[in-house]
Amino acid sequence: MTSPDSPAKIGCAKFKAKQTQRFLVTFLLSRPLLPFRDSRVFLLSIGLAVAFCNLSLARQQSAPPSAPQAAPAEQAQKGQSIFAAQCAFCHGRDAGGGETGPDLTSSELVEKDVNGNEIAPVVRSGRIDKGMPPFSLSDADLAAVVAFIHVQKTKMDAHAGRRRTVLAEDLLTGNTEEGKQYFNGAGGCAKCHSPSGDLAGVASRFRGLALLERMLYPWGRRASPSSSPATVTVTLPSGETVSGKLAYRDEFVIALVDTSGWYRSWFKSNVKFTVNNPLEAHGEQLGKYTDETMHNVLAYLQTLR
Amino acid sequence: MKKSRLQKKLVRRQLLLVAGIVLLLAHQHTARAQAADGHPADRALDAATLLKPPADSWPMYHGTYSGQRHSKLAQITPANIYQLTLAWAFDTRQTAEIKSTPIIFNGILYVTTPDNVWALDARSANVIWHYAYPPNQGLHIGHRGVALYKDSLYFTTPDAHLLRLDARDGTVKWNVVVADVKRGYWTTLAPLIVRDHVMVGTSGDFDNLPGMLKSFDPETGEEQWTFYSTLPRESPDAFSGGATGGNMWITGTYDRQLNLVYFGTGNPTPVLAAQDRPGDNPWTCSIVALNPDTGKLAWGFQASPHDTHDWDAVEVPVLVDGTFKGVQRKMLMQASRNGYFFVLDRTTGKSLLTTTFAAANWSAGLDQDGRPIPNPAKDPARDGRLIAPDEGGATNYRSPSFDARTGLFLVSARDSYGVYFSKPEDGEYGWAGADYGVYGKAMLKAIDYQTGKARWTHDLGGGWASAGVLTTDSGLAFTGDSVGNVLALRTSDGVTLWHSHIGDVGNSPITYELDGRQYVLVASGGTLYAWALPEAPRKGTRVDSMHAKRLNGKELR
Repeated sequence: MTSPDSPAKIGCAKFKAKQTQRFLVTFLLSRPLLPFRDSRVFLLSIGLAVAFCNLSLARQQSAPPSAPQAAPAEQAQKGQSIFAAQCAFCHGRDAGGGETGPDLTSSELVEKDVNGNEIAPVVRSGRIDKGMPPFSLSDADLAAVVAFIHVQKTKMDAHAGRRRTVLAEDLLTGNTEEGKQYFNGAGGCAKCHSPSGDLAGVASRFRGLALLERMLYPWGRRASPSSSPATVTVTLPSGETVSGKLAYRDEFVIALVDTSGWYRSWFKSNVKFTVNNPLEAHGEQLGKYTDETMHNVLAYLQTLR
Repeated sequence: MKKSRLQKKLVRRQLLLVAGIVLLLAHQHTARAQAADGHPADRALDAATLLKPPADSWPMYHGTYSGQRHSKLAQITPANIYQLTLAWAFDTRQTAEIKSTPIIFNGILYVTTPDNVWALDARSANVIWHYAYPPNQGLHIGHRGVALYKDSLYFTTPDAHLLRLDARDGTVKWNVVVADVKRGYWTTLAPLIVRDHVMVGTSGDFDNLPGMLKSFDPETGEEQWTFYSTLPRESPDAFSGGATGGNMWITGTYDRQLNLVYFGTGNPTPVLAAQDRPGDNPWTCSIVALNPDTGKLAWGFQASPHDTHDWDAVEVPVLVDGTFKGVQRKMLMQASRNGYFFVLDRTTGKSLLTTTFAAANWSAGLDQDGRPIPNPAKDPARDGRLIAPDEGGATNYRSPSFDARTGLFLVSARDSYGVYFSKPEDGEYGWAGADYGVYGKAMLKAIDYQTGKARWTHDLGGGWASAGVLTTDSGLAFTGDSVGNVLALRTSDGVTLWHSHIGDVGNSPITYELDGRQYVLVASGGTLYAWALPEAPRKGTRVDSMHAKRLNGKELR
């Protein structure tokens, strides 16, 4: 979407167009009529031209004056009070981050958002694996919240140093060589990962804080069974085995998606099973890192662009 | 003359007999009236009843003043719980989760969400009345419940007001301001009521605000006293080394003999940036013992001196009378946000035991007073520090339970890790930094209070379980896991005896007996569920002859 003309610009254009219209009409009528077959055709064409000019001006004037980056003040204010009551606990009153919730003003998703097309689905469905519940707001309320978030982002963008967020530059304290050694040695990362294989270009896919979070534990704050890369092999009473991606697990039920794509589940009391969860190594490693080794491995990963 | 004396004797005896019968009948009548279906006005929840709640009640947030969340009821047992069935469900029809503990007295349940109170008939689950506080700008993060005293409910609001509602019909009797929402305060807790003191603590982490516990007169709403866990930084009487905060946002506990109330206090502000608030920062992240009549501090113990990780020590201060290493003690136990389990002598505040109950990598050991020593290398930093627990903590608001028979302190816990950031540009106000949880593993821990070690651990299946714990005298523990099941475990060894997949349980369970049937209540989402053993089958329940004939002439029994 192109950015709109400001009211001043529109007014100017209008004035110029009117001037042109007046000039044309005066000029044409002041001259002897041109040799059109029919003066009515001539007048009709003038009239159409004028009408067309006016129509296009009218379309410009009724274009929404607000684009994502310039919401009307009242809508953003309404959004602020809804945000304060529903969102501020986690995202901070100024949307700059609060208890457990990220800084929305430096969020890539908010950056991409246009009139709520990215933000609204997240609000409506929540981010269960990251601890955000869904919220049911009316369309108008949701639009107001979106407007407020963008207003805040614009404000924060103007004050680069005052954001309570983690910049990529903040995370450049590790030693690349020591990180590489740890990766291949004591850290045990090389058992499952390779810089030319799965980790090729990882620092282009993830930057800064996102890379650090992904390095530490790739599946979000809540290690829920459904979001893990684990696989499971189930042995049925008949002796038949079924393998697949682990789809669900609680104390009572184990489920997988089998090789043909079907979900299958069993009560645990009826079967035997083994789970292979590569993420377990990440969980255990959290207890083994020092802050130094953590930053070193991050430094090494940051070279894998 | 003999005759008349004898006559008088007889008449006197007859009169006495009649009087006796009349008195007997009158006594029986009043006794019946005081039974469960008696007039509510005859049985008010006064100060004495709060000290000894009847079996058909759960009259306050914790159930009893001790905070043990333990019930003497034993109708539901490990042997029969496999039959536990749904008695009723109440759907609030709202998206707000029920995080509150419902309370019940005289057959009426009171349950809340932010801005809302419902009074339910505990027999039919029908709504008697519903009160909705007007829309307001306070944080609507959750609500923990109302407090009941005589004929009134005391209800806190997101914009930091305290309301007195008529418990019969929900009408507002008065509305007083607890704190200024515009400065950043809000309230969520169920007040603690001790005699004529209604105690309310504030919340407010995003601004540098003093933590306040206020006591109000239940009749008039007048403020009686305020306890400040911290004072404004500029105050000449400030005692916290530059810190504000210390909000008391979970209902406290009460010891009648010592006449002390116990509250946990929250984290200091600025939260993650600590350069400008050196020292221990009392009384943030502390357990404080106060006189309920005056609000004066009797003693304080800091669970997290100089906290820089948002580890509120508001978790329930559970009061236990028992032996500790052979000596009879009045104890206070807290499983704290920062991963440490504390046993204190609640008379003096002195530490008896301090251990960890979950992953914790941030301290440099314990000091001579049994308090963890913060390791400066684990303060939030520009490039981040990997900390266990994460900000959500080794435990949080979810209520623990103490079971005296096993000596076990049951708590819904987590091993968790987060990365904490703070730099000078983040300033000295409010959060002053950022932190990100990266991993959590939820488990129910049964801590032996004599040793601080877990006798058993029960995996709760994911990263975060929201349910609190309830234990009963029959040896059952009720809670919820992190994948949508309400669970009943055997308290002695943590084995699962019953479950139902109703969705994540978001509050702490309660139990009570009504009309001879024991109920256990939990909430999931916006719905409250009541569980009980099945009713006796109706007499003469057989398949009727019409149905029997339809099935291939085979009669069904």
